[in-house]
Amino acid sequence: MAANSIAATSEGLYVYCVARGDGHHLFGPIGLDRQLVYTVGGGDLRAVVHNCQAQPYQSQDPQVVQGWVVAHQNVVRAATEAFGTVLPMAFDMIVRGAPGGGAVAALRDWLDEKRERFARLLDRLAGKAEYGVQVLWDREVIAAALVESDEALRGMRDETKTKPKGLAHLLQQKLAKAVRAAMEKQADLFAQDFYARIRRCVEDIRVDKLKKVDGGKQMLLNLSCLMQQGSGELGRVLDELQQTKGISVRFTGPWPPYSFVGG
Amino acid sequence: MQPELPKAYHRATLVDLLDRVLDKGLFLRADLVISLAGIPLIGATLSVAVAGTETMVRYGMLSDWDEAIRAVPPEQRQLLRERRPNGLLLGSQAEIATTA
Repeated sequence: MAANSIAATSEGLYVYCVARGDGHHLFGPIGLDRQLVYTVGGGDLRAVVHNCQAQPYQSQDPQVVQGWVVAHQNVVRAATEAFGTVLPMAFDMIVRGAPGGGAVAALRDWLDEKRERFARLLDRLAGKAEYGVQVLWDREVIAAALVESDEALRGMRDETKTKPKGLAHLLQQKLAKAVRAAMEKQADLFAQDFYARIRRCVEDIRVDKLKKVDGGKQMLLNLSCLMQQGSGELGRVLDELQQTKGISVRFTGPWPPYSFVGG
Repeated sequence: MQPELPKAYHRATLVDLLDRVLDKGLFLRADLVISLAGIPLIGATLSVAVAGTETMVRYGMLSDWDEAIRAVPPEQRQLLRERRPNGLLLGSQAEIATTA
């Protein structure tokens, strides 16, 4: 079945990503809800799609949504294997036909409109991938190290041990407050220093929102980094960072360059 | 080809993926896209709980996060909650496998 006739009667097209390529590609039933994934072309660009209804995918069932999101990512990865670096879409981007035209026509128009921009992006991102870097610290370990290394804080801590209960408690609160202030300051210093060291060995970087983490750890930096695949420098820098007592790193990737396609 | 991985390399989790596919990537122009009027495409009360690995096996969609997470005993996994910038509690709970 030619890709064109598959597309012909569809109300909507779920778009996974945009790639540079030619010809017709059939990826098989790897889409959301096992829909058939294929490409729609415009010039030297290809959109990876599946046919769907003209309504968004939504569900209250977390496992259903999880399956969809995983399928989305799997299709983008399959497309990456076929085409090299692609421009991934956000989840649930569905093109509908304008009145008087089908979804395919609308999608082709969109590709035409964005052609130059997508070409520039694809050129820029060729051979590269995104990597997530999160730097965390262990609050207790860091606090203990800070107290140990600071004469004033050490003094306060030692004092709490020698004083009677009531006074000791007040001193303890004072110490806790001083330690929190010291930690805030240290967090900033670490974040700036680590950011600079990471920035130096990647091509581009995005700073993401810090996320809450349990287990006594706190996130200092949440970064998405664009890098040539095969580069070892970032790994070396991250290993270095983890030599610092109390510091740990979460490193994920390679990702399709979600953070670097500019929305 | 992979970069040399740092010693504490972690497999990606669903939260890492959600952060990307929900907030990033290319968007379609408003008139082209199917959406709920004004509401982000994911339902406002979406709650995505990470299923245990057994569920991921059932879906047959095990990929990057399977082996490392399965290797970590459940009691060492941590829970992560996050709040979306617009105040909607996404309530995503992810198991993050952490190694030393």
